[in-house]
Amino acid sequence: MEDRFLEFVKFDLQIIALSVFALLYALKVYQLMKLPWPREMGPRRGSEELGVVYSFAWLFFPWSMSSTTQHLGRWVEFALYHLGAGAAILGTFTIPFWPAIMTRPVSLTMAALVIGGFIVGAIKLARRIIAPELRVVSTPDDYFSLAAVEVFFFFTAMALITEARGWMIAYFLITAAFLFYVPFSKISHYVYWFFARVFFGLRYGRRGIIAGKRA
Amino acid sequence: MEEQKTVVEQAKEELEKRFSRTLAVAASNLCVHCGLCVDQCHYFVATRDPNISPVAKAEQVRRVVKGEHDWLRRIFPWWTGAKELTEEDLDKWVEAAFRNCSMCQRCVVNCPLGVDTPLVLATARGVLTAVGKAPEILVQLADAAIAREENLEFFKDFYLEQIKELEAELQKKVGDPEARIPVGVEGARFLYVPLSGAHTIMPAAEIFYHAGESWTLSMFEAANYGIFLNDPVRSKRITERIIREAERLKVQEIIITECGHAYAVSRWEAPKWFKDQPWNFRVRSILEVMDEYIQTGRIQVDKSRNPFSVTYHDSCNLGRNSGLFDEPRRILAACVEDFREMTPNRERNYCCGGGGGLVAIPEWQDIRLEAGKPKADQIRATGAEAVVASCDNCRHQLGEINEHYGLNVRVMGMAELVANAIVPNNGKK
Ligand code: SF4
Ligand code: SF4
Repeated sequence: MEDRFLEFVKFDLQIIALSVFALLYALKVYQLMKLPWPREMGPRRGSEELGVVYSFAWLFFPWSMSSTTQHLGRWVEFALYHLGAGAAILGTFTIPFWPAIMTRPVSLTMAALVIGGFIVGAIKLARRIIAPELRVVSTPDDYFSLAAVEVFFFFTAMALITEARGWMIAYFLITAAFLFYVPFSKISHYVYWFFARVFFGLRYGRRGIIAGKRA
Repeated sequence: MEEQKTVVEQAKEELEKRFSRTLAVAASNLCVHCGLCVDQCHYFVATRDPNISPVAKAEQVRRVVKGEHDWLRRIFPWWTGAKELTEEDLDKWVEAAFRNCSMCQRCVVNCPLGVDTPLVLATARGVLTAVGKAPEILVQLADAAIAREENLEFFKDFYLEQIKELEAELQKKVGDPEARIPVGVEGARFLYVPLSGAHTIMPAAEIFYHAGESWTLSMFEAANYGIFLNDPVRSKRITERIIREAERLKVQEIIITECGHAYAVSRWEAPKWFKDQPWNFRVRSILEVMDEYIQTGRIQVDKSRNPFSVTYHDSCNLGRNSGLFDEPRRILAACVEDFREMTPNRERNYCCGGGGGLVAIPEWQDIRLEAGKPKADQIRATGAEAVVASCDNCRHQLGEINEHYGLNVRVMGMAELVANAIVPNNGKK
């Protein structure tokens, strides 16, 4: 009976939550694609294709922007936070669907990444509360989303370290709740991020600003 | 009888009309409020005011867009900051979009997510223009440019008379009574579009003379205040005057004088407006032409004629908006002995503070000069004796910050510098 509950949160609930999540994202993308898109038409000075590649690649090279060059620590935070998020999300798939790879060293490595993300999350939350330039633009969703990710990180780390049934149930329940909330929140930024980087690359690439031949 | 719409209703309608895929992305949950763009904006760097950071300015507009489009807007609008538009918001937008943003795009290239903050603020400009809340002077300047075409007969004689006077000056300068400033010449290779003021005609005329160029001067000015209003109707009409003239004269190229926004409009924006009537001429900046002349040896220059130290200001519209980074540097390498780069430069350069139409609005001179502080610091750090800008708006602003911050530099245009360096008469047909 008890194991059936664990099985339910691990599999059925995840599949339901993931389906709702995917459906909501598909709807978001559909709404965007329906809108007009004023494309660049001026004769090319540079390469749109290279522009798009550069645009995505910039993320991995902190020296590509003044903002990340000036605030290298913020870039490191960004990397650690997203590595933590990646590990936490990965766990929601590997634990139920690929348990064979979840050996002790793998679980502990993933837990370490998640703990790194948790620590950075705490710093981000503190900064949002303290820094006036962030406070003036922050909404309840900004604070809640950060806090929610912290909770998610915490339960992920505990589940990975202890591998105990109770922590596992909590982890999968939190994951499901998270999947239902994310499409409505600030956390959904990554869907738009994909579009924004493409738009950026096309424009700044075509105009010969970031990539390609400068004729 | 149809009831008259309120300003807020009109504004909402205009906002909806402008709701494109790019705006939907820029005004979505994409911005994570990380604050990395904050100290990339010269306004914030100069004032340290958290309310005029890029994200804070864009957020004022974004919240209203979210009020119309965010999924949670009906149930918990306060949760994501979504709000209903009010007339008070529109008044605040005037400050955010017209006064406190020069549309320089420095925040975009420094946002890890690629949030197009100037697009959000330019949309606000367009909405404000549509409801009659844009700065009056910008509207008047745009309308005056349109009226010039409508009343061309009235202006023509006076303009031609002025050009004759400049022609006499040119003849004296180059020592050739045959030297011309041609106007309305059919079949010329270039249609050169100046701004008002002899300083945008004389150095170019001298360079064209020495290059033996086939050119003709436009009857119109390149400036397009419609773009500062983000008013596609006015912008298109202002550009159309020049396109019609180029078609009538059957020129091969339109050459835009040293004016950042005019170049960006003609080179990048106008092709979107006229996509159904493709042109058979190309658009270049005088910067590209001077670079070509020097690289191909069509004019000979001698850098010892500019024996002072020079730094270069990358105009946002020519550089970050149009990719003209190498051309000015090649010209400077050929024409000056001591060139000193500002730091940062190219796409990372700071705006001078005069872009986005701000130089035309006298009542905002205070913030314009204050926001010019990072540029003043950049110039001072080079120790250069002269600063070159290839944009007339930038030159105007640099002239003012030169005085305001006591920089003691000479503010020059690139054509003026090239004309100084030319070895006389070489290349003349
Ligand atoms: S615009 Fe970009 S850099 Fe600025 S707060 Fe938003 S996400 Fe961060
Ligand atoms: S476009 Fe320039 S002036 Fe406007 S917010 Fe961005 S950095 Fe500031």
